[in-house]
Amino acid sequence: MSKRKQIGLLLLLATIAVAAISCSVASNKEPFFGKTVPPEQNIFRYVTGDEPESLDPVVSTGQPEARIYMALYDGLVEYHPKTMEPEPALAERWEANNDSSEFKFYLRHNGRWSNGDPINVHDFIYSLRRIVDKKTASRNAYLAYYIKYAQAYNEQKVFVRDPQTNQFLNAKDFDESTPPEPFGGSPLDAGKPEYTSKIDQAEHDTDFHTKLHTPLRLTLPGDEKARTKLLNADPKLKAAVTGKDLVPVQAEDIGVSAIDDYTLRISLVQPAPFFTGLLAHQSFRLVPKNVIEKYGSAWTQPQNIVTCGPFKVKTWRPYDKLVVERDPMYWDAATVKLDEIHFYPMSDNPTIMNLYKVGEIDAVLNHTVPNAWLEVVRTKQDYMDGAEAAINFLQINVTQPPMNDVRVRKAFNYAIDKDAWAKWRKIVKPLTAFTPEGIFQGYPQPKGDKFNPEEGRRLLGEAGYPVVKKADGSYSCPKFPVDQIEYIYNTQESNKAMAEWMQAQWKQNLGITVSLRNMEWKTFLNTRAKLEYKGFARGAWGADYMDPFTFLSLFYTGGESGTGWIDPKYVAMLDEANRMLDPKKRYELLARAEKYLLDAQPMIPIDTAAINWVKKPYVKGMYPNAGSLYPWKYVYIERDPAKWDYGIPSLTAD
Amino acid sequence: MLRFIIRRLLVTIPTILVVITITWGLIKLAPGNFYSGEKRLPPAIEKSIREKYGLDKPWYQQYGKTMWGIIRHGDFGTSLRFEGQSVNAIIRRSLPVSAAVGILAYLLALIVGITAGSIAALKQNSRWDYASMTLAMLGISVPNFVLGPILVLVFSLSLYWLPPSRWGGFPSRNLILPIITLSAIYMAYIARLARAGMLEVLRSDYIRTARAKGLSEKDVVIKHALRGGLMPVISYTGPALAFLLTGTVVVERIFALPGLGNYFIQASLNRDEPLIIGIVAFIAITLLLMNLLVDVAYAYLDPRVRY
Repeated sequence: MSKRKQIGLLLLLATIAVAAISCSVASNKEPFFGKTVPPEQNIFRYVTGDEPESLDPVVSTGQPEARIYMALYDGLVEYHPKTMEPEPALAERWEANNDSSEFKFYLRHNGRWSNGDPINVHDFIYSLRRIVDKKTASRNAYLAYYIKYAQAYNEQKVFVRDPQTNQFLNAKDFDESTPPEPFGGSPLDAGKPEYTSKIDQAEHDTDFHTKLHTPLRLTLPGDEKARTKLLNADPKLKAAVTGKDLVPVQAEDIGVSAIDDYTLRISLVQPAPFFTGLLAHQSFRLVPKNVIEKYGSAWTQPQNIVTCGPFKVKTWRPYDKLVVERDPMYWDAATVKLDEIHFYPMSDNPTIMNLYKVGEIDAVLNHTVPNAWLEVVRTKQDYMDGAEAAINFLQINVTQPPMNDVRVRKAFNYAIDKDAWAKWRKIVKPLTAFTPEGIFQGYPQPKGDKFNPEEGRRLLGEAGYPVVKKADGSYSCPKFPVDQIEYIYNTQESNKAMAEWMQAQWKQNLGITVSLRNMEWKTFLNTRAKLEYKGFARGAWGADYMDPFTFLSLFYTGGESGTGWIDPKYVAMLDEANRMLDPKKRYELLARAEKYLLDAQPMIPIDTAAINWVKKPYVKGMYPNAGSLYPWKYVYIERDPAKWDYGIPSLTAD
Repeated sequence: MLRFIIRRLLVTIPTILVVITITWGLIKLAPGNFYSGEKRLPPAIEKSIREKYGLDKPWYQQYGKTMWGIIRHGDFGTSLRFEGQSVNAIIRRSLPVSAAVGILAYLLALIVGITAGSIAALKQNSRWDYASMTLAMLGISVPNFVLGPILVLVFSLSLYWLPPSRWGGFPSRNLILPIITLSAIYMAYIARLARAGMLEVLRSDYIRTARAKGLSEKDVVIKHALRGGLMPVISYTGPALAFLLTGTVVVERIFALPGLGNYFIQASLNRDEPLIIGIVAFIAITLLLMNLLVDVAYAYLDPRVRY
């Protein structure tokens, strides 16, 4: 082919491409993205994400599965469809003692399993014990650690008992950092009674109740090696333990008890005002004891499974379709509007959006609209925009120079124009703090350092890396050891865009070029967790429950944050806040801790994530809430176009 | 011939075991775990998980357990990612999907490819020849992750004729786009192979003899030339079919098909050791059997080849 013909062919191909694009642009005037014909049957078709790991609610930690579990299982409480606050589910109502360290749940009497069996308090006791049973090996077990002795049971620890007196040793006698007893010992809040029980006197007399209201017992590792090591390091403890009985912590020891068949009491190891909100989490949902004991791990197979939610499993073909149908046994079956929900397991965003456009699915999961499509899709009336209870940030490995110098960390933070980033990314909100902005009502969120390249350059200079202005107006930082830092992220288009954007900011404002390194997901997680990176790593976190603590607790223990930053003072501040009875004061103390964290800068906040999904206008009762979790019983298909959603449904509670 | 087949089958067994061993070793070397997530797990929970799945045992015990299950029962164990699902069941369930798409795609590729290749050879240097070879060149050079989305854009998103993705059962309209996408490159290869093979055969002595006997052109081409001219296509068919049968990662992903290829890539990303080993072993077996089949077919088609 001659040069000329080649050019001709290229031109032809270009014309075809332009024609194809203009076709899609031509459809831009449509109010919605793609077809808006409701499904013929009363069925809702949804993509919740990749193939679910399991239908067992304690297995998966993911949000995609959480949405499936919400269809299949009920808990004590359920998320409110708009506010995400806990609302009554299998518990009709509940009460807390005045420091939120003990809760009483009154169960409804008409709860039933999908096989018709009644639900009572013993089902909950089984389910709560199962989460922290070591044999279950649940990745979510840590969420239940607030329950008294749950962590000790999960970690197979032992109590220490004096054979002579039959008394157990108490934790506070050996460890000064043990928080004051929530309902024993010293008063928690001056002037207030520490614990007023509304429980009858007779209940106090049970063995269990007596046990739970004694001071926190000392627990030691069950593993002999670990125990010996601990005892050798602490002579006082060793002397006290020698000659005593070691009693393994049993399932029966954890702080869940039945007051009667329909009243459940949960005792916590610390005050946790957010605990009822946490109970809506997937792992606290009710699972059937008999079925699990009969079938083992095969209990979730469609032929065996028994559930307790608004829907039950009809058919399940992995990587193809999970069909759930309305469960007539459900206590609130009258509210359930859909006949079936079809969950399509998919993970490729363009593929999902294609299905949505042609009208084969009615809604998609959050974060599905690709960046390049936003320009078009977000102008449509079926685009769901809103802040998510999730943040994006950069983690910093603070264990190695030069990033072990807080001035250097601050300089890198100052050099990022987050407003410009948010504008470029279109849907996210700039963030200077470590909790998402505008999510927690009444939380006095502290403000971190704003974009200030001048200050950043000054700090770098102070740390011994002067930034010089070159003749052409650009900056350079010749002394900075650029080979000692990098930016790692897991391979994904949006992560790459973010990495390059940050890289450009630092180059422009500090004259430092940080090298980028992308990795496969699991490799990335491994590298970050083991601090095998230098400099920066992409980080993101979504709320487990609607409280700032779900974010602030990432730095509660050093290992989980992936930064190597751990500060006892920060931990103490969080503990102090959580012991506070007055929610307003607690928020203030949490905010103070957050400010402390921001000042230490073991991470750089970037943005509050956006929910970024689409739903057909005829899908009603599904709200763009901050957790992207939807109680399915309220969702329905509206066939009258006059009643459709033209725009984003309001999140203001009715 | 029978001895040849038996001998080849016997060689297959150690080959598979070596493949499994290498795969096992590579998984162990890969960083990360099936349970790792955005937030690092508390050490006690990590320990329980490792104990539950026997990952706390020394490597030779883990290896021994895996191999013993495979050799003794042909059982690849239970998936780590998908709790309670056996690897054998996953393969049994996803294989028909991959096989249906793969076989149909290859049949389409054979029909179109051989026809186009033969026509090109018979009318060498004609407009037909150039046209089919240009198309073949395009088919080879346009990767399926480009072709697939283009087909979807045109036929699903613009014209609304065909569903853009998902498995709709067999047969269904959902299959049309994945089959075309998948077959394009094979079609192109086969066309080129058939053309080259036919060109060579058409110049050979026995074709001249056939023509000299006064056979019609149709008989010459179909009865004589095709049989020899398609030899390269046959040898290409073995490995091609093995890959098609065991799933094609990209196409299954673009069209969200619940096939083996989809599982394979996900299993690797999830570090789902038993599932990876099961699928790799299955692919290896299929590949070896297909090659054996090709060798047998060779012997049948070409009298000069004897074992």
